[in-house]
Amino acid sequence: MLRDVANWIEGLLGLDPATFAYSWITSVVVIGVMALVAFVFIAFFAGPVTWWERRLAGRIQSRIGPNRVGPQGVLQWLADGIKCFLKEDLIPAEADKGLYMFAPYLVFGGYMATFAVLPFGANLIAADLDVGLLYLLAITGLVVIGSLMAGWSSNNKWALFGGIRSAAQLVSYEIPSAFSLMSVVLIAGTMSMQGIIRQQGPWPWDWFVFRNPFLFLAFFLSLTSSIAEGNRTPFDLPEGESELVAGYHVEYSGMRFLWFMFAEWGNLWVIASIATVCFLGGWQIPGMSPAEIAASTGLAFWGWQALTLGVFVAKASVLVAFVIQVRWTLPRLRVDQLMITCWKYLVPGALFCLAGVLVLLAVVPENGVADWALRGVSLAAGLAIAVAYVWKTRAAYMADRDLYRRMEGKELWYPPFRLP
Amino acid sequence: MTFAEITQRLGAAFPDGIEVVEDTLLDPAVRIRADLAHAVCLWLRDDPDLHMDTLRVITATDRPPDAIDVVWHLLSMRHRHTLVLKARLPRETPDVATVSDIWASANWFEREQWDLMGVNFTGHPDLRRLMMPIDWVGHPLRKDYVRPDSYHGIPTSRDAVTPVTRAEIPRHLPKAEPTDNLMLLNMGPVHPATHGVLNFLLETDGEIVRHAKPDVGYLHRSIEKIAEMNTYAGTMPYTDRVDYLGGMMTNQGWAIACERLLGIEVPRRAEFCRVIACELNRIASHLVGTGSMSMDLGAYTPFIHWLRERETINDIMERICGARLTYTYMRIGGVCRDIDRETLDKISAWLDHFEPICAEFDRLITGNEIFVHRLANVAVLTKEVALSYSIVGPNLRASGVKWDLRRDEPYSVYPELDFDIPVGLGWRGTVGDCYDRLLLRLFEIRECIKILRQAIAMIPDGEVRAKVPRILKPAANEAYGRVEAPRGEAGFYVTSDGTDKPWRVRIRTGCFTAMPVIEHMSPGLMIADIVAVIGSLDVIAPEVDR
Repeated sequence: MLRDVANWIEGLLGLDPATFAYSWITSVVVIGVMALVAFVFIAFFAGPVTWWERRLAGRIQSRIGPNRVGPQGVLQWLADGIKCFLKEDLIPAEADKGLYMFAPYLVFGGYMATFAVLPFGANLIAADLDVGLLYLLAITGLVVIGSLMAGWSSNNKWALFGGIRSAAQLVSYEIPSAFSLMSVVLIAGTMSMQGIIRQQGPWPWDWFVFRNPFLFLAFFLSLTSSIAEGNRTPFDLPEGESELVAGYHVEYSGMRFLWFMFAEWGNLWVIASIATVCFLGGWQIPGMSPAEIAASTGLAFWGWQALTLGVFVAKASVLVAFVIQVRWTLPRLRVDQLMITCWKYLVPGALFCLAGVLVLLAVVPENGVADWALRGVSLAAGLAIAVAYVWKTRAAYMADRDLYRRMEGKELWYPPFRLP
Repeated sequence: MTFAEITQRLGAAFPDGIEVVEDTLLDPAVRIRADLAHAVCLWLRDDPDLHMDTLRVITATDRPPDAIDVVWHLLSMRHRHTLVLKARLPRETPDVATVSDIWASANWFEREQWDLMGVNFTGHPDLRRLMMPIDWVGHPLRKDYVRPDSYHGIPTSRDAVTPVTRAEIPRHLPKAEPTDNLMLLNMGPVHPATHGVLNFLLETDGEIVRHAKPDVGYLHRSIEKIAEMNTYAGTMPYTDRVDYLGGMMTNQGWAIACERLLGIEVPRRAEFCRVIACELNRIASHLVGTGSMSMDLGAYTPFIHWLRERETINDIMERICGARLTYTYMRIGGVCRDIDRETLDKISAWLDHFEPICAEFDRLITGNEIFVHRLANVAVLTKEVALSYSIVGPNLRASGVKWDLRRDEPYSVYPELDFDIPVGLGWRGTVGDCYDRLLLRLFEIRECIKILRQAIAMIPDGEVRAKVPRILKPAANEAYGRVEAPRGEAGFYVTSDGTDKPWRVRIRTGCFTAMPVIEHMSPGLMIADIVAVIGSLDVIAPEVDR
């Protein structure tokens, strides 16, 4: 479709398809449009997800949250954005001006560049690189440089602390993150994001997370370390509000501050979609193989794209909600505990998973009895965790129920799970 | 040990320096010769039968034209007896030996008294100004003090209309970068974790703090001086502002001190009203204390849940006294208005509602492993250090000392009420660590609920205010009223001179002594631990500075 647009422009210009200018313009148009789409997506994802997070947080904290701008406050993010846009862009007198002004773009750029390889649907991907996963792990390194730059150039000791913490944390957590994703690569036999999805199936027992117990463990390791890479609670030390005031972006205001926020909430999507792609079967829908979708044409093709997009967004949204819930439930780790968590538990755990997957690849033939048994075990473990979670929630509710009943109807009483 | 035995032993040890003060409403008091102060204090602390392990407060009182009195309030928590030492110094050369080598808490008490009253404590390791800027001239609490018109070009008068330009004001402490590759970091005066306007100068080696120096005085409103210019009843609203989270208790401390001076008997119903109001206030204060502590550690949700509950307490308080934060509920001789049956029912209903919420809170955060790991074994405050630094209240009890003024120096109707005094047991770590201090407050909330239920059931009918003359003119005397506030002992040492205004008021608060102990515990902690320590000691700035 993009090629059609490019062709149309070139038709207007009267260029010959065989010339250099032709391919050049095509590339520029395609890249430009893709970047715009990615940017618009980030803006339209990061914005509403701040509203979503605040509403969810309000729900968790038994308060209301933003509900004034638009129905139920859904346009709050727009108002916030406009406010930040109109604020003065303050630069501290003693700051290293060039670095200070450039740092937010580097942080935002690091996250936005990941969207190049993130799939959204069967054919909805900007660039299905053969080294997609590797590219993804590599490009987030820009974020380290950006936050370190912001922390250093602000000429503020708290910001410096934030920058250093951020660098230490991101570099450390890249390792378990990469190793646990490598186990997926071993099973899938490819680093292409779409390739990894095509290796899985639509049903839960076809997903990599339930393929074998090692990958099941790797899923949690990967999710934990990517939450840490995204500076989310309980790993939000670089911004730790009560310790470092706001960490590396303490001096920023206005639009530059907004870039950091964009990156932070855009990153929620990156966390969720990496996990969805690598472990949860991506956009696969039952009864329709990827090849069939690719073969369909016209309206049917776009219908399938929309459906796969819906499936992907639904899966990712569940994870986003989970990450938000974790943020509003847990306290923050201390910096030494953070490093201990990484180097003593996550790194060995990820290596263990990698080794386990290697052994299984060597000894267990695919689709054999043993393979299905391993899937069964993993699926049972997943179900057990889900059941335990529900049971614990219920037990907590039941513990209070009698006491709540005693209060029912009296003044000051409110139902324990009242909607705002 | 009784007072007679104490004086007898003192007299035997110091034959020519002791004189019993008879006509005082204070705790048993003796007058000592000023040059004996250090020797007497050391002897009192080290004598096994006396064992005055705690210095409550050091007060200096100006007695123009020729004298300054210095008063030491001592307490033995082991033997549960008290003693007040008084010494008279010449006004021109008010020199007295320091006792900061005997009790660590004396360090700050003496700095404050030097700053505000100009008593020169010889031998003090670090006699600098505490509340006022370092280059301030004069000692503001002296009776002949004249306020300068301006300070570095900034007019001190409220009527000055000249626009204030930015002046070069010397900082409180010299801020040269430390050597040894350490970094000097200003935590405060405006920092989210310092609970008000406090400043800590951290010398850090990366994340590890080598030394944290508290720098206070940003909220110094000189309530002690204001009280000297006000009538006894008119000082009541200022006592709220001493501790804005526990205004009821500071109200009561002032009321008790004045009632002791005037010899007023408080009606029984008023006492129950006071207990109900105070215990509600204590719950509210502990809710903020534990909630904001969890917020300091990054968990926002518990704080909001606690604030929601506190909101109801505020509503009830509004019904009781018309105010939500600064209550001014107490009056000398009673309370300002009765608590009606409807409000009492409302409190009972709220308690029914609140008890399950406590369990909810525990499930939410108290048992959380991250939370426990952040707090357990962090900044252990041992019993000995706590006593030496005169730590009081929940922080002291968390260190394993069972000392609660409601039981040990009973006031009001607390002896009739049945409640437990929780002490720190090292629930998840060591006795006296941050986790103990947190959990102890959560246990105290439950004890408050018990007290409230009993008080509501027991409250008798009757008057809520004693017959008190319109103008209060106590005879020249002195009294010390103390109550168990949420952050420990709130003590009001009032000296009257026969007029309708106090001659000298000294306020002793729990947080004032909790500040220097942060300095003591800081080496080796991490920056995030300092935040936890401030939260766990429940330090609030106005109480430190008054």
